[in-house]
Amino acid sequence: MTPFAPTKTSADAIRGVLDDGRLIVCVGPGGVGKTTTAAALGLRAAMAGRKTIVLTIDPAKRLANSLGLQSLTNDPQKIDLDEAAVTDTTLEHISAATESKEGGELWAMMLDSEQTFNDLIDQYAPDEKALERGRENNIYRLLSSALHGMQEYMALDKLHDLYTGGYFDLVVLDTPPTKNALEFLETPGRAATFFDERIIKWFLPNRDSGLLSRVFNPGSVVLKLVSAVLGESFVQDLVEFFDTFHYLQEALQQRGEMIEFILRDPQTHFFVITSADPRRMNEAFFFHEKLANLEQKADIFIINRVIPRFSPEDIARLDDAALDAILTEEGVDDGERVRSFRKHLETHYARLAKLAMRDRDAISSLATRVGDDAIRLVPLLGEDVHNLGHLLKLSDFLTPLKALEPST
Amino acid sequence: MLEPLLDSRLIFVTGKGGVGKSTVTAGLARALARRGRRTLVLETDTFSAMEDLFDYESPGLEPVAINENLHASNLESEECFIATLRRFVPSERIARAVIKNRIARVFFQAAPSVNEVTILDQVRAFFEKRDDRGRTFYDHILVDLPASGHAVTFLNVPETMHGMMRGIGPIATMSRQVADLIADPKTTSIVAVCLPEEMPVNETIELADEIEKTLGRPLDMAIANMVHQPPIDSGDRPVFEQLHRRVRREHPDVESLFFDNDADKEDSTAIARLVEGNALAIGWADRDREYLNLLYDKLSAPIVEVPIMYESSGADIVDEMGKLFLDGPTSRASSSSATA
Ligand SMILES: Nc1ncnc2c1ncn2[C@@H]1O[C@H](COP(=O)(O)OP(=O)(O)OP(=O)(O)O)[C@@H](O)[C@H]1O
Ligand SMILES: Nc1ncnc2c1ncn2[C@@H]1O[C@H](COP(=O)(O)OP(=O)(O)OP(=O)(O)O)[C@@H](O)[C@H]1O
Ligand SMILES: [Mg+2]
Ligand SMILES: [Mg+2]
Repeated sequence: MTPFAPTKTSADAIRGVLDDGRLIVCVGPGGVGKTTTAAALGLRAAMAGRKTIVLTIDPAKRLANSLGLQSLTNDPQKIDLDEAAVTDTTLEHISAATESKEGGELWAMMLDSEQTFNDLIDQYAPDEKALERGRENNIYRLLSSALHGMQEYMALDKLHDLYTGGYFDLVVLDTPPTKNALEFLETPGRAATFFDERIIKWFLPNRDSGLLSRVFNPGSVVLKLVSAVLGESFVQDLVEFFDTFHYLQEALQQRGEMIEFILRDPQTHFFVITSADPRRMNEAFFFHEKLANLEQKADIFIINRVIPRFSPEDIARLDDAALDAILTEEGVDDGERVRSFRKHLETHYARLAKLAMRDRDAISSLATRVGDDAIRLVPLLGEDVHNLGHLLKLSDFLTPLKALEPST
Repeated sequence: MLEPLLDSRLIFVTGKGGVGKSTVTAGLARALARRGRRTLVLETDTFSAMEDLFDYESPGLEPVAINENLHASNLESEECFIATLRRFVPSERIARAVIKNRIARVFFQAAPSVNEVTILDQVRAFFEKRDDRGRTFYDHILVDLPASGHAVTFLNVPETMHGMMRGIGPIATMSRQVADLIADPKTTSIVAVCLPEEMPVNETIELADEIEKTLGRPLDMAIANMVHQPPIDSGDRPVFEQLHRRVRREHPDVESLFFDNDADKEDSTAIARLVEGNALAIGWADRDREYLNLLYDKLSAPIVEVPIMYESSGADIVDEMGKLFLDGPTSRASSSSATA
């Protein structure tokens, strides 16, 4: 059974990545704690002496505030770590100070994908006129905000800049909520697909044979159908769109290749964050299998928000009389109320034990597929994780702040 | 609590990934079907959730009868795309040929909104379906919307499309019809499912505003799902807190003990763990209540609280939810409701 208390192996694996990795990609289904985990990992890497940046996507407002990210900005901001150690009151039993090493820095930024897309276009547009035309295009406007996977693509694009920029030792990449984690891996291909040479050629007005001649070309039945379905004016917009943006094709392709190269690097690590929900576990496992396409694997499965160790046996073990005596001592007056108070506590505990068992069953079935050593559990804490103290507490479950005692 | 939905023929259920959209959609469908309404559930997921929740196998686009009044179909299939395309091209053979064309395929997969348009077009087709005697076939159609992207973006696609096509062409016409349907609060309801947590609650509040602004209609209902219940009444809190302090004094390591599966399970700590566990549960319930109150504060739509359920299978949870929706209170729960 995988305990919350660290098995040395998986804790060491995380430790190792924090010490030596160059990129950690936190992927997983929506709402499971990717952003929170990315921030917690970043904090610990910085404490271990590394210049770390966490590229967050849509952090919860309270977390963003505690990271100093009040407003959406596409630029890294440095976070004051001393304050974190001081303001923390939840961690009396852990000495955070002993962990801190010189030279570490924690930076965070929040992705603005529209801005990133605009920057990309600014960077590659051949001239001012192409820029103007682009901005006015109907399809461009829809694309920059709504293209499926645009956020993922822009996250990777930003990653490319941070990674190759040279300042940071470690980039921790948070990823956007997707329908399923797999979408992330398809990302580098997707934007490039839309700008696929074959598609562009197909729409691009050819000097010799313009679009119209192609449409009426008896061979081009398909294009005729596309026009019939989408309407002539839309197809005209498309033609113009591809005409305006064909320069992006090469840029996207080059960057896509570079990004894939980064993702394949041995110093790049994939942490899959998931909850104990069986659907999400399956997704996580499926993702792990697909990583083989990059000759990678999921280094660690972080099962977050696990119902902790409520066990059904505890109820049987309970000495009812002793508990009743304590309740009476604490001021519950008559015998009827004492029993009812106890019953409430027992009933609720037993229900949560049922939930806990549900989680644990799901976790063991994942463990049989990927091995205990690849799994870390983080419990559902009693409060939101929205300041550096909370992050530190959560990170203690990832890799303990105290040095591990040698196992006996 | 179904009242706000009883007159809606079309019910869109939206929410972030994992909040329980599919479970809630299935629960609502069960409840409506039990009231004798012919109900169709539509999902749009490659990995069908409904097949597990209703225990059936989907053959494709054609709805399957789960029971007399309950039907289900999955719109996430090539068949769905072909069905839509089929309406614009002369024959099914040509529709299939278009799909088979490599370039057209790449284009349709990558182009914005194609998926949304096809899904919504099929929803409309089911909406318009009539029986032999010309009566509408389905009393209610529930759509479990995909989690990715934004609900408003999704629901506004027909309007956007119509604009993009400058109102010309068959898709523009079809988009107009669907857009009108979505904007009509008499036929259509929008239900948002969320968890009682910071981001989901804030996003639901924003969603309500955006629906109002962009679609020109209200959000009809918010369902706060998986709400943790407190183990004891609020009157017993002071005594419990005293008890908790005492346990922590006598067993200073009880909290870590609680998170540690390998620790010896000694009988002597059973009471401590019972109390510590309940303290944690109170923490969860308090945190949920904080965000629920925010929701009550900021949202004018009716709010329905669905407690976290302890059944072990999804299908059982759906059954429980169905009962709750059928018999539960009609109006919004009061913000002080805290039952053990
Ligand atoms: N172990 C935990 N215990 C309690 N609360 C947690 C825990 N981990 C995360 N949370 C809370 O859960 C919420 C969701 O976390 P987070 O925003 O990190 O998820 P996400 O995977 O990034 O979501 P999205 O897919 O929407 O980006 C936050 O409010 C966070 O405070
Ligand atoms: N009220 C509830 N109590 C306990 N468990 C619940 C409740 N509602 C949903 N669940 C469980 O939560 C998990 C997620 O639910 P569901 O699949 O319905 O979410 P979803 O929002 O449709 O997710 P997805 O983003 O994958 O479509 C499932 O395991 C489901 O059984
Ligand atoms: Mg996030
Ligand atoms: Mg679902």
